[in-house]
Amino acid sequence: MKEIFKITISLTAVCLVAAIILGVVYAKTEHARKENEERIEQQTIRDLLGFKEGSGTKAPADLKVYAVYRYVLTDSKGRNSLGYLLPVKEGGYVLAEIDLDGKPGKTYKIEGDAAKLADRSARDAAVKAALPGDIRAVYAQTLFVANLGDKRLGYVIPGVTQGFKTFIKLMVSLDPSFTVTGIAITESEEDPGLGAEIEQNYFKNQFAGKTLDVLKELKVIKEPLPSDYLAALDPAVAAKRGLTKEQVKEIKEKHLKDDIYALTGATISSRAVTTGVKDTVRKFVYRIGILDDAIKKENLHVAF
Amino acid sequence: MNRNLRLVWNGFIPENPIFRLALSLCPAVAVTTCVKNGLLLGLAVLFVQVFSSCTVTTFKSFIHPRIRIPAYVVVIALWVTVIDMILPVISPDVYKQVALFVKLIVVFAIIISRLELFASKEPFVPSFFDGLGMGIGFTFGLCLTGAIREFFGAGQLFGYDILGFKPLLIMILPAGGFFVIGFIMATFNWLEYKFTGKIPTSGGGH
Repeated sequence: MKEIFKITISLTAVCLVAAIILGVVYAKTEHARKENEERIEQQTIRDLLGFKEGSGTKAPADLKVYAVYRYVLTDSKGRNSLGYLLPVKEGGYVLAEIDLDGKPGKTYKIEGDAAKLADRSARDAAVKAALPGDIRAVYAQTLFVANLGDKRLGYVIPGVTQGFKTFIKLMVSLDPSFTVTGIAITESEEDPGLGAEIEQNYFKNQFAGKTLDVLKELKVIKEPLPSDYLAALDPAVAAKRGLTKEQVKEIKEKHLKDDIYALTGATISSRAVTTGVKDTVRKFVYRIGILDDAIKKENLHVAF
Repeated sequence: MNRNLRLVWNGFIPENPIFRLALSLCPAVAVTTCVKNGLLLGLAVLFVQVFSSCTVTTFKSFIHPRIRIPAYVVVIALWVTVIDMILPVISPDVYKQVALFVKLIVVFAIIISRLELFASKEPFVPSFFDGLGMGIGFTFGLCLTGAIREFFGAGQLFGYDILGFKPLLIMILPAGGFFVIGFIMATFNWLEYKFTGKIPTSGGGH
């Protein structure tokens, strides 16, 4: 009987010490980790908008990326509506309510600036404080609107899709006419060497240039990627074969209406990304239409 | 030969975790589709093995023998989690590539087996070198398997095109992992038979 106490105490002590060490390490690294994540996200957005680090095209000073947060609001009677957290021209944010039929509702002023609202918990608290007590707000998604000066440059939308084993998180960038300009895989756990090839240029660059109409009909085909198309998609291969920019453009144009060529041995992952991009864009185009109408109707002075 | 050096050499070839002890074969088959993956996972295991061995050998008198296995699991999980938290801060780019593998290390048989068979009985210095040797041996095994699979499956090495075509796609599919590891094990056994004249028994004695 005595032994069992000894064992229990001993094991508890081991776990406690481990827990304390983990707690200290977590507290020390949490801030830096979050900062890194945010920096990587900002970098991905700039990459997608065509201002890749080290490629020579530096982001111009008048490039502004605005984050728009979408919330799902539920009132006391269980009715759902959407709440868009929008930056206002005069500074600050408003939460614009839009019901499911696209009719704009009330707007609420939100305390805080962009830096503060970028943090999820601070943002949720600010939204909760601004709303009347009987409305519940649940965060759904962040959209990024990019402007160059006063001109709309494009949109970057995060999306998620079911991959081979678990979820694939991706980002799609669109130009103002909703043509895909690029995609990035931000998180995936596909099999290395097979499904993980979705992160390769020769796969993900296939989406660039697909217009909304082409995208709607886009399929995945199990055919080998044509050799000239591969060279045009992957800048490294293009450099090796000595293709000029004009030649690359020409080849890309030729294959613009092609379906997506599946990766060898990873048809499911290829399909997953394609469906993910299609769904993300379809939903976004629908939502931004409603949002733009509401902004016009309500005469909101949004910053973008 | 110095005992410490012999311990390192022991983990490298005579008791190579993958080919002689036949431990941790699941990750060895799962991630070795290219050399780079093998190398990264191998290095991660090397760190966890050395840290865990050192921790267990230092505190072995405090750990009650009847709860040693759960205590070892806690120690391994602790080091894996610490690496998982520190690595994204030090080097986010490397972390992005190894994040998948790092969390898997908790359940690797090789680590707990070395704690049980070696670190719990021996003093600090030999335990450190045993952990180091096992880690290097594991890294070597993963790299060798990865190199063969990447070369024949994708025609590449370290991501650089060598052949320009894919001779045997099956090699980077899961089945190829079993083939390659089987062939290397057979080669190890054959070499041992050639040099010692004895028919090899199952490696490691456990």
